[in-house]
Amino acid sequence: MKKFFYPSSMVVFGVADNPRNLAKNILSNCKNMGFSGKLYAVGKKPGTVHGLNIVDNPNDLPKGIDLAVILVPARYVTETIEVCGKKEIRRVIISTGGFRELGDESSDIEKDLLFAARKYDIRFIGPNCIGIICTDSKICTPFTPMQYARFKKGTASLIVQSGGVTTQSAYHFSDEHIGFSKIISAGNKLNITELDLIKYLIDDKDTEQIHLYLESIEDGRELIRLAKSSNKPVIIFKSNVSHAASQIAKSHTAALSNNDKIVGGAFKQAGIIRAKNIQDLTIAARALKLPPLKGNRLVAISLSGGFSVILGDACESYGFECPALPRELMEKIEDFRRGGVIRMSNPMDFGDIHDIKALVFTLERCLALNYIDGLILSFMYEPEMAKMFGDGIGSPEQILRFFKKICQDTNKPIALSFFSVREYIEEFKRINTFPVFNDSVESVRAMWMLREYWRLRKG
Amino acid sequence: MKIIKNALKEGRTVLSEHESKSVLAYYQIPVSREILVDNTETLMEALQEIGYPAVLKGCSSEISHKTEKGLIYLDIRNENEARNAFDKITKDIGGLKGSVLVQEMIKGQRELVIGLTRDPQFGPCVMFGLGGIFTEILKDISFRLAPLEKRDALEMMQDIKAHKILDAIRGMEPADKDMLVDILIKVGKIGLENEEVKEIDINPVILSGSKPVAADALIILEKPNV
Repeated sequence: MKKFFYPSSMVVFGVADNPRNLAKNILSNCKNMGFSGKLYAVGKKPGTVHGLNIVDNPNDLPKGIDLAVILVPARYVTETIEVCGKKEIRRVIISTGGFRELGDESSDIEKDLLFAARKYDIRFIGPNCIGIICTDSKICTPFTPMQYARFKKGTASLIVQSGGVTTQSAYHFSDEHIGFSKIISAGNKLNITELDLIKYLIDDKDTEQIHLYLESIEDGRELIRLAKSSNKPVIIFKSNVSHAASQIAKSHTAALSNNDKIVGGAFKQAGIIRAKNIQDLTIAARALKLPPLKGNRLVAISLSGGFSVILGDACESYGFECPALPRELMEKIEDFRRGGVIRMSNPMDFGDIHDIKALVFTLERCLALNYIDGLILSFMYEPEMAKMFGDGIGSPEQILRFFKKICQDTNKPIALSFFSVREYIEEFKRINTFPVFNDSVESVRAMWMLREYWRLRKG
Repeated sequence: MKIIKNALKEGRTVLSEHESKSVLAYYQIPVSREILVDNTETLMEALQEIGYPAVLKGCSSEISHKTEKGLIYLDIRNENEARNAFDKITKDIGGLKGSVLVQEMIKGQRELVIGLTRDPQFGPCVMFGLGGIFTEILKDISFRLAPLEKRDALEMMQDIKAHKILDAIRGMEPADKDMLVDILIKVGKIGLENEEVKEIDINPVILSGSKPVAADALIILEKPNV
């Protein structure tokens, strides 16, 4: 399996030297992204693409190339698999569409394809997929030109059933500064399924979290067993839950619609976090970098009265408690007030306190309480104000380092968001040394995901 | 199980209420006390045994929606009422193969549903939810894969929106959660141990005080793949 992601040589079938040919984009994507393995192009007619000669007679290929990508019309796929077999190629990505997603599930063409693959002991991803993007080996097999420079390296890996969702996830995880290690577009999952891929990612040293987008689940029991056995968090965005969606899915990736309530229950049993959309996957990705949240009791603090009210609502709707804090501690915090007008409670309105020492004091004291499991902070950021704070926490880097240290020292999570100019928030996210959420409500959802993860983990 | 094998041998894929409850009882799931009768003599004996108030139901594997068909007579308080109900039921089920079930009337205001479905991807899954007429209207249900651990059973009860119905509300006792956990685990076990069981529908499970009792049940079978 590893050589799917780290091949030292790769051949693309279906290349032609004309502007409308898609297969040649696979070569340019790999080259541009910096893939260092040897590349071969195979096509019907000789020619040159991206500095490579097109091999028109596959017999001229060397034996034992690590990986083949096939993008030829569906009716030629099986014979191309035969060619691969004869050339001792054991790993294939079949990008071509036009199999079960177009109708009759047991179409002969699929049977022939599976038969040929078995005959030569070939494992393949797809068909009807865009293959793999790996930010480590720089392999990038989508057949549309990719903005490879945008891809950011990270520790999350994704298994995605749809090609469009694959590229969008690659961009979105990168734009959100979370990045990814590997993204696999699994397509029709005819040979290699999400289960094979999860198994690989569980052992992959560069992967810390496994994210999936699934439209169908073929072997729910095995998925649950694998997820239970994984020490890495598994987060799944499962779509195709409505009647309308299942109509598209049928023609999309031949998905069967699972009973959504069964899926929901099974996921909980396996400790799988369920995401609602791609953005939700990124929230989970960030949340799971925090220390464990081992209970439901939070302190919510904002430097704005409005946001403390918003936090209070969000906490309640996600089933969190904001317990009353010791009066003695409240009085000490109240001593820091400027106007002396706001009485401190939980959620805590810090609007009248403009002293970083007060914030440090409050965070440390609250997290030290044994009946507090974590803290949510909606912070204000304004460069001029931050300078006033001084004390080594004036710059965004220093601010994040400060929060990271408190979390490490107390082993309790702080879900941090800022109310500020968009570009400053982006700057905090870009620094990426400590999770920063897009807004206060998102930070509460993040805590809920973190809570679910630790609550559902068995043993 | 014999009941299941016999039904399949007879070419039936539906167990009658009485047969379904026998399967549940075999797994020590609490079911209503009941006796199957087919003439007035045995009816009277059964009433002696069960006592009043009683419930009379048409019972046949060929009848599934008893309420809609007017085959349930609740709160029978004397011999006269019993005779009337018996005559009406036997008339209504007419040519169908069946008899009359005399049942204790379980008193309780809270009705739950516990079930099992064999999902093509996830295998046997246990269901829990609000029972009676609310099952279909609100669909407030949750699922877990069999086999269930205790915490799965506890969590799935907590999963439904109306989970507070299990608490001490309006002067009622809190539901015996240990018993509910036990039933949920056992229903999963029935699914795991009997491949022929396609669906189980125990609706309602009535909370009699704190104790859950299966007041009605239906088991659907499928022929195992040969």
